Amino acid sequence: MSKRVDAGATSLVSKEVLIEGEVAGEENLHVDGRVTGVIRLAGDLFVGAGGSVEAEIDARNVVVQGTLAGKVIARQQFEVRPTGRFSGECTAASIEIREGAVFEGTSKMIGPAAAKIPGPPAPSGAASAEKTVK
Amino acid sequence: MGLFGKKKVNGGTAGGQDSRQTALLGPKLAIKGKVSGSGNLILMGKLEGEFDLDGELVIAPPALVDGEVKALTLNVSGTVSGNLTARDKIRLEKSARVQGRLIAPRLSVDDGCVFNGEIEMKPPPTVPGKAAAGSRSK
Repeated sequence: MSKRVDAGATSLVSKEVLIEGEVAGEENLHVDGRVTGVIRLAGDLFVGAGGSVEAEIDARNVVVQGTLAGKVIARQQFEVRPTGRFSGECTAASIEIREGAVFEGTSKMIGPAAAKIPGPPAPSGAASAEKTVK
Repeated sequence: MGLFGKKKVNGGTAGGQDSRQTALLGPKLAIKGKVSGSGNLILMGKLEGEFDLDGELVIAPPALVDGEVKALTLNVSGTVSGNLTARDKIRLEKSARVQGRLIAPRLSVDDGCVFNGEIEMKPPPTVPGKAAAGSRSK
């Protein structure tokens, strides 16, 4: 877990815990419970299989195994695992949607990955897609 | 990423509660808003807002709480400014710094802690049988 940013520690919001409001910090966050509001992390956000997050998110990596709705910025990777459900707007440097996952909404690439996309000179080289994988 | 796939199993702090996970809000996390639910929770970060937990809440240093805190059991060794209410008991440990009001049927305050405020001790809400009898017999 020790990548460049010092976000070694992982906080856990367990199954029966609900946080409404703003969560911010230099840690990783694992949500098995519920979080609604705003999440800003220097580290990673992991939404566990039973977890549910409805928030505006800014994190390094975002991994969804449960349910996530909202506007997401993943500075590195956004990943929806087979049991994961995402709806909303995602902006990431890299994206991975596994088979079985549900993705409803838009995806926009940032950083080096976006720069490689040839074609329409969109303002930020954005790739917008609306798809549902089942 | 390997660590994320595995679930931490609660080592038994739950004391009778079916092996629930203990939630942890780490020292580098700041929360503004409301935290609620059940189960046990260890808070080491900053909280501005409200806490309502049906379980044991441990406020450990370097935790900084500004707001209303309610739990079944409260164990404080961090810094709190606000009211603390426990349906069972409150314990202020040596390193605790508390400004506010303590409301609980049972209370223990350790030598060395800093506490400025009021204490209100309510009798335990009709606890049936042994637990109540045990604490009374002292």
